[in-house]
Amino acid sequence: MTEVKAELVGNVWKVKTEPGAHVAEEDELLILESMKMEIPVTAPRAGTVKEVRVKEGEVVKEGQVLVVLE
Amino acid sequence: MTDEYTTRIGELHAKRKKHLAMGGEAKIAKQHERGKLTVRERLDLLFDAGTFVELGLLAHQQAVRGGEVDADGTPGDGVVTGHGDVDGRQVWVIAYDFTVMAGSMGAVGEQFKAARVRELALRYRKPIVWLLDSAGARIQEAAGSTFAGTGWLFADQVVMSGVIPQVAAMLGPCAAGTAYIPGLADFVPMVKGTSSMALGGSRLVKAATGEDVTDHDMGGSQVHCYESGVGDNEVENDADCIATVRRFLSFLPSSNTETPPFVEMGDPSDRLVEGLEKIVPVNPRTAYDVRRVVKPVFDRDSWFELKPTWAKNIVIGFARAGGHSVGVVANQPMQKGGALDSDSADKAARFIRMCDAFNVPLVYLMDVPGFIVGSQVEKGGIIRHGAKMLYATSEATVPKVTVIMRKAYGAGYYVMCGKGYQPDTIVAWPFAEISVMGPEGAVNIIFNKQVEASDNPEATRAQLVETIRAQINPYLAAGWAMIDDVIDPAETRRVIIKGLEQAGDKQIGRPWRKHGNIPV
Repeated sequence: MTEVKAELVGNVWKVKTEPGAHVAEEDELLILESMKMEIPVTAPRAGTVKEVRVKEGEVVKEGQVLVVLE
Repeated sequence: MTDEYTTRIGELHAKRKKHLAMGGEAKIAKQHERGKLTVRERLDLLFDAGTFVELGLLAHQQAVRGGEVDADGTPGDGVVTGHGDVDGRQVWVIAYDFTVMAGSMGAVGEQFKAARVRELALRYRKPIVWLLDSAGARIQEAAGSTFAGTGWLFADQVVMSGVIPQVAAMLGPCAAGTAYIPGLADFVPMVKGTSSMALGGSRLVKAATGEDVTDHDMGGSQVHCYESGVGDNEVENDADCIATVRRFLSFLPSSNTETPPFVEMGDPSDRLVEGLEKIVPVNPRTAYDVRRVVKPVFDRDSWFELKPTWAKNIVIGFARAGGHSVGVVANQPMQKGGALDSDSADKAARFIRMCDAFNVPLVYLMDVPGFIVGSQVEKGGIIRHGAKMLYATSEATVPKVTVIMRKAYGAGYYVMCGKGYQPDTIVAWPFAEISVMGPEGAVNIIFNKQVEASDNPEATRAQLVETIRAQINPYLAAGWAMIDDVIDPAETRRVIIKGLEQAGDKQIGRPWRKHGNIPV
């Protein structure tokens, strides 16, 4: 199981995956909006999305778990 | 020749042969089993063929305070020292031999052999390279209060800092206090799997704190090249590591009194940079990999990235521009949107100071939304860390060229060598945005009352945002001649090289001081 965490504080702008989805390494899971930038969050490895722990519009902290892969 | 004469010469050759054989066949086989080369195989790779001159080959362990001695089984006292040429230039080396007492640092090896190399490298102003593969201080010789007389090596390293390049190649363990050798060095490549460094080795850690951890888990390249930032580049094996050392040295002069070697790369200085429109999105909110910009701008195959796996929101490295060695500092929109934080500021500041110390001009490729703001980064001391980069950029007197590619916001613009930091050339691409903050932030602060008082706050806010956005394009700054030009991105290579050549005779006078007080 791999926890994908926010690397900086920001808004969840778009969620681009859902539980059960199969993803390849580097696939975009969601896009954060922070510091005037759209910041893609990608899968660190291939796997299946177990959980998406955030909703669009939510503010997340650095280190917060966004998605869980298995 | 008399028999006596022949016998004496024979003895010499026998001693040499024995010491060149290091710790013997069994220990050498074990070294190879671990995936490591022997110290002499490493030296063959480091130096141009036939150039190595060894000092202290016949040294061996000596009795310290009446302790036991194995004079016969300790060739070189566990370290090989001397000098040789790297691309025709003299370089000094201290190379630990793990096949002799695990490369541990004994009294002879440290106080006589290594000390002599440090002294001569500094005397001749030539680079020094450590090939580290050592269990650390030889405790049986070092334990006791005569420890009071040790520690010179780090003081020497500090004296050398900014005078001669220092490389600590991590090819095995580097335990305990000796980890400060890489800590003070200018370049620290680490071999994946076999190298490690930690202030305390695993057995000491267990005794001191009770923590159970292996040397590799505590201080391997996966820690230092990814998390701590002490290591620079993770490499696959010993040969790659030593090739990386040679590459690093090729960009630097032998000392701070020389300029870096010029290498004609056969890439025309006026070449237009093709294909940037396919790499850099005009929409400033969209990310791209800045390394795809760096590579075509500089001389073909010249890009040498440092610390590529740590603090990835800033990209640093050496390249050649029309044959000139340059240090490149580029924001990386792919990571954290290119916003700066404490680690990226530290990474850039140390690199900028190394370039400035060794007369390597700096090129800043700017696309920065600013420093990350908020409570988390403040607790981490971002003001203190950001100030290091501000300090380093400001302090640097080498030629500096700044290219504002897209975003130039707030203190990010300053630390990336904005106008106030005396760039020799500063230009912008047409889609550059230069401002103290983004339009949305500015509206929240400047027009907060108008927005609140409006019948339709969102429409008013959007209109005000657009009004401000229209003022952050580069033509306002160019109209004031605050930047030197707005350029077609395809002209970037030519403009950088012209800028560096323009500043070739640069001299900057600063008031006398003992030294500044960089925020550390």
